[in-house]
Amino acid sequence: MTLLEVDDLHVEFAARGLDNRVRVASALNGVSFKVEAGEVLGLVGETGAGKSLTALAAMGLLRPPARIPRGAIRFEGRPLIGLPDSAMARIRGRRMTMIVQSPLTSLDPLKRIGDQLIRMQRVHGSASRAEARAKAEAMLAAVRIPDPKRRMQAWPHELSGGMAQRVLIAMALVNDPALVIADEPTTGLDVTVQAQVLDTLRDLVRERGLGALVITHDLGVVAHYCQRVAVMFAGRIVEDGPVREVFARPAHPYTQALIASTPGRIAQLGWTVTGGTPPDLYNLPEGCLYRDRCLRAAPACLVAPPRREIGPAHGAACHFAGEAA
Amino acid sequence: MTAPVLSVRNLVHRFPATNGAVHAVNDVSFDIAPGETLGLVGESGSGKSTIGLLVTRLLSPTGGSIAFDGEDITRASAATLRPLRARLQIVFQDPWGALNPRMTIGRLLEEPLLLHARQNAAERTAEARRLADRVRLPEAALARYPHELSGGQLQRVSIARAIANRPKLVVLDEPTSSLDLSVRAGILQLLDELQRETGIAMLFISHDLETVRLVSHRVIVLYLGRIAEQAAAAQLFASPAHPYTQTLLSAHLPPDPAVPLARHEVVGEIPSPLRLPPGCFFAGRCPIALPACTQATPAMLAVEPGHHAACLRIADGSNLLAQPEGTP
Amino acid sequence: MSVTLPAPSAMDRVVGVLRRSPTFAIGFAILLFYAALAAFADLLAPLPPTLSFPYETLKPPGTGQFILGTDGNGMDVLSRTIYGARYAFGIAVPAGIIMVVVGIPLGLLAGWKGGWLDEVLLRVLDVLRAFPTIILAMAVVAAMGPGFLNVILVIGFLDSPIFARIVRAEVLALRNATFVRAAVAAGNPEWRVLLVHILPNVILGATAQLPLRMAWAVRISATLAFIGIGVQAPAPEWGAMIRQGAEYVISGEWWVALFPGLALIGMVLGLNLAGDGLSDLLDPKRRASGK
Repeated sequence: MTLLEVDDLHVEFAARGLDNRVRVASALNGVSFKVEAGEVLGLVGETGAGKSLTALAAMGLLRPPARIPRGAIRFEGRPLIGLPDSAMARIRGRRMTMIVQSPLTSLDPLKRIGDQLIRMQRVHGSASRAEARAKAEAMLAAVRIPDPKRRMQAWPHELSGGMAQRVLIAMALVNDPALVIADEPTTGLDVTVQAQVLDTLRDLVRERGLGALVITHDLGVVAHYCQRVAVMFAGRIVEDGPVREVFARPAHPYTQALIASTPGRIAQLGWTVTGGTPPDLYNLPEGCLYRDRCLRAAPACLVAPPRREIGPAHGAACHFAGEAA
Repeated sequence: MTAPVLSVRNLVHRFPATNGAVHAVNDVSFDIAPGETLGLVGESGSGKSTIGLLVTRLLSPTGGSIAFDGEDITRASAATLRPLRARLQIVFQDPWGALNPRMTIGRLLEEPLLLHARQNAAERTAEARRLADRVRLPEAALARYPHELSGGQLQRVSIARAIANRPKLVVLDEPTSSLDLSVRAGILQLLDELQRETGIAMLFISHDLETVRLVSHRVIVLYLGRIAEQAAAAQLFASPAHPYTQTLLSAHLPPDPAVPLARHEVVGEIPSPLRLPPGCFFAGRCPIALPACTQATPAMLAVEPGHHAACLRIADGSNLLAQPEGTP
Repeated sequence: MSVTLPAPSAMDRVVGVLRRSPTFAIGFAILLFYAALAAFADLLAPLPPTLSFPYETLKPPGTGQFILGTDGNGMDVLSRTIYGARYAFGIAVPAGIIMVVVGIPLGLLAGWKGGWLDEVLLRVLDVLRAFPTIILAMAVVAAMGPGFLNVILVIGFLDSPIFARIVRAEVLALRNATFVRAAVAAGNPEWRVLLVHILPNVILGATAQLPLRMAWAVRISATLAFIGIGVQAPAPEWGAMIRQGAEYVISGEWWVALFPGLALIGMVLGLNLAGDGLSDLLDPKRRASGK
């Protein structure tokens, strides 16, 4: 069974400006993807593309002024939109958990990390204190924190950034979830530490057969830690497929531009990139949202392109996907 | 050889802290030649940004000397530095924070001209327009306030301000780190063009190895405020000599799944600059450290001409880490 | 950025501000009402404020031409209460100007320079916080002698260090801001960094505090008058009127003290609401969320 299925998800924000006009920002404009058990899906895109918003929607954490006018989210076959908070709370933190970007602000500064790991289990289950303690220790060992018994007594402020991120991973996995959503799990960590943390996360996901959704703006993380990738632009998935396929044969002009913007490609191929601003979410253009920045834009692009299959499980939302440039 | 634009010798900087001092920069020396881009890479705590602030004298060094354009500015007063700032500029990482939110882009671009160039108001306006055009800002941007522009556009404004008075050296402190990938490429391209046109020397500070490799002629790798290795960019990335550089390069994730990872495992994390270990700062994490490494600070040894690293084991050529297994 | 929309009209903007902060709207409306009372007191008041009707003392509200009754001197309470608004503004506005003119430069310098100036400012603040301000004000006014001008000066100067502290805190927060560093790096002389780059960024936050401090000024001036060392009767100052009326409350002539008291409460409330609303409106976080 598909673990997480997001289907044609739309999210919008209504806000009243200083001039008393109500404006609606269309932040997600039909996002569809699936995460299967045992698979790591990378969700990449630039600031404002809607990556984190997608994660919040899946976790049932959207609050007004955000609303979902259209679309469906199913977790283990069960529709999540419209689920009462109490039912959602039983899924969130237990079957589906999240690792966030800023580890130090995500830990309770007034509780020892062992107690936080124990509380995490007792909120969601009926484990005894002793069982929970044993499991917390085992979990710290699993995320490769040296001397876990002693670390149970540590306060959050005593942890380095890398250690704190490991503790957060332990918190996310301690209840044996089926799906982990990691939102920029290593942004802000140093290169050498980032590699260690990502290795740990990948090994755990693999050993336990979890599904994972990794949100990142770093193509390096996608290239080496994800099996499939979905590329987001202006609240839409413009391309998705197996990582090796997409990097070798990017089909959407945006994916192509993204890959061509990496310093390595610039060194090989020169300055080929045309940057640009994302479309105005308050006033979205008709048709393809990438049109204004696209080198291949044609009259056909005034109609929104459907996802075109261009290979096994590889598709792109472009009228010209799969055709030579 | 032409005289260097910037010459830094034995630079030391300590920040006072509640218990002791943060040893941010520990005996760093380097030169930058006219028209050259020197890349300064390092992780957090490496002192790279502090060095940027020191050489532009936004901070006063604890020790050592800084000479800019032949003039010793180590202890220069604010008044002495002011006219000199026309030629010595800096661009900061955070484009959203680096511009006065209550000034229009036009006024922001005119400010460096007002401060340093003998021009009347009309000339300044014309020059600001030319600058905006040079960094490819739309003319409409001149009347706008910083919060109305995107991060990439704001960084172009900061760059335009920096080049307004034709500087000899621009320090770029992580100029693209907070920008999205495609925007980043546009900024790097602009910097590349500016250097080709005007021969500005640049000190490019970054934690991003790929970017540094792309823009730099020469690269210095810092670890805890000390130079671990320096070499021409091509040399350094092709044959890193210092175990730390080797580790750093191996931890990098190239944005291409076809490039296999070859990971050197390091133990632990970077020590605190409050309590630096004796000897080589990397010895505690280094897989090939010798007892002698914790005894004395290693000297810079030549690996090949123009390529130096501070590692004891270079002397007998045993400085290379064992080839790791490729990670799937 | 919605460039395609036509520019909002001034009316849209005013309505927008009022909707975003009803608190400010209500406070502002109350202040407008008081300002009208002060400005048109000559037209609105049925009688001159100090005109005494010796045979009509302590008449209850509704007696003849005295809508709100008369006080112990036979003066019309309604007229005096209306004229009282002039005293309230007459003290709050100049005292507010003193606070801004003295407090902002002091706070700028203390925050930027640090050193002895900062130390002195902080110590003065400690003293002000340790003493109830009213006692300090009493002591100073008692020494200088009562009177309208002295009350203004005392209130203005007593509150300027508090203003200075608000500005100082903002300057400290900005001192290490990247754009201030960038201004120094561009070659700005120190005075220009302070006046062109820092001042415009702290002044709005500081002025949001002004209504709150003016509310304080109105309260203190009434208190001083109430205890008899501020503005002196028979001047139609609310505090002085309450003092005069207080002695009659026990004997049942409640109206002499009640109406100036209500007027005072209303004005302080208006200033406080306007001040709170203003800080909300100027809070960049709340502003950004509306974009």
